[in-house]
Amino acid sequence: MAEKAILFDATRCIACRACQVACKQWNGLSGESTRNLGTYENPPDLSAQTWVKMRFVESTEGGAPAWTFVRQACMHCTDAACVRVCPTKALAHHELGMVTYDPSECSGCGYCVDFCPFHTPRAGRNLVSGMGKMAKCTMCTSPGLDRIGAGYQPACVKTCPTGALSFADRADLVAEGTARVQALRAQGRANASLYGENELDGLHVLYVLNDSPEAFGLPANPRVPATAMAWKGALQPVGWALGGLAIVGLALNFVIARRAKFSQEAAAKRRK
Amino acid sequence: MEPEVERYRKPTRVLHWVHAGAFSVLFLTGLVLFIPGLGFLAEGGWTRLLHRIAAAAFVIAPAIYVPLNWTATLRGIKDAFNWGREDIGWALAAPRYYFFCDEGAMPPQDHMNTGQKMWWLLVLILSGVFLVTGLVMWLFKTVAPPALLQVMVLLHDVAFIGSAPMLFVHIYLSAIHPLMRPARAGAWSSMARGRVSRSYARSHHARWYARVYGTGEPAREKETEVLSR
Repeated sequence: MAEKAILFDATRCIACRACQVACKQWNGLSGESTRNLGTYENPPDLSAQTWVKMRFVESTEGGAPAWTFVRQACMHCTDAACVRVCPTKALAHHELGMVTYDPSECSGCGYCVDFCPFHTPRAGRNLVSGMGKMAKCTMCTSPGLDRIGAGYQPACVKTCPTGALSFADRADLVAEGTARVQALRAQGRANASLYGENELDGLHVLYVLNDSPEAFGLPANPRVPATAMAWKGALQPVGWALGGLAIVGLALNFVIARRAKFSQEAAAKRRK
Repeated sequence: MEPEVERYRKPTRVLHWVHAGAFSVLFLTGLVLFIPGLGFLAEGGWTRLLHRIAAAAFVIAPAIYVPLNWTATLRGIKDAFNWGREDIGWALAAPRYYFFCDEGAMPPQDHMNTGQKMWWLLVLILSGVFLVTGLVMWLFKTVAPPALLQVMVLLHDVAFIGSAPMLFVHIYLSAIHPLMRPARAGAWSSMARGRVSRSYARSHHARWYARVYGTGEPAREKETEVLSR
């Protein structure tokens, strides 16, 4: 089946945050009490209760204030660090490309929180017992709340009033995004870019940006952390090998040493 | 019954077994995150709860033992770093000794032979690594800078890989190896009851035996004193 994706066009976003509300509503996530920090941006950060959030980027352009908005949520990477490090396979790749998450399988280890190059997954946890669950955007594929499987659009896309969000086959959205970026460049936005086409072998959330990714606080070259590769690709296989070799070696030693001891005892008996 | 001599005092044995129990739980609840096929056992996070309870026991047990047994602790730590020429002799004789049960090949050993010393030194060092990395993860998981936590996870794994195969070797050489039979006389007995037979002590730890009990026949009263404990 053709891979699906979300296209976010920053030039069409008015930061109404209807997507934040629709996400909470569909997924049954509670609101959070926050403090006024002197910005319309709220809540202050992603959390286990907030899976999508608009980040407000303030700058000046030719002396005039400029306000742009960027979507913060799971990027649904093709090469996803979280899937690599998840020990219970609670995180997995959907056949349509998104990174699914089943909370009933989550152990709350927090590896995904610490290894995600976008710092997207979040977990609340008890400091003493360590019990807790991670949570993140599943592109509306959560078990029991699967809009995609039912043929609907993700809740955030469905509710977006300006067309800043769209959901379709990924290949079509790449073409669409490329065309929009070319139009922006023709309008004089030389740094306009399409983010997510090739990052981490392709994200399933694509960004049309009227400036460079860094201007929107997105990592220019996101990577699965080298520590994740060293850990999962080298260290653990070495561990399996050493553990297996130890067991095989000891079993071998037991067989040889027991025979040696028996023959010694037999020789001692003959001498008697 | 053959006369016996004391190898480990009771506080040391209690510490050993509390630590052994705690480490077994830590090992198994860590293993479920280490072997992909076992990951499902960690679902829901109950293995983390067990891991933390065992971790607390693993730290609290020596924290109680050390101040109450200061001299024994100091002697033990000194032993771990006391390496010499006789350790080369052990290494040269080890293959003949452990594979072909050639007890004559082994030069006289002290209270801990070279293999035991290696394990003990590893326990001291890796316990430190486990403690520091584990404490950081316990207190600051998902809160501290991700780069720091990534390194903690890796080092915790390095300590795990370093200690687990050696744990197998430790259990095997103290309870299963043919030379450790019968269990009642030897290494198993030294940790289970604190005493070993005199002939075992002489053949396996001759240097220690000579230092503590003398080269000749042990004095009768000393032996009865040991036996009556």
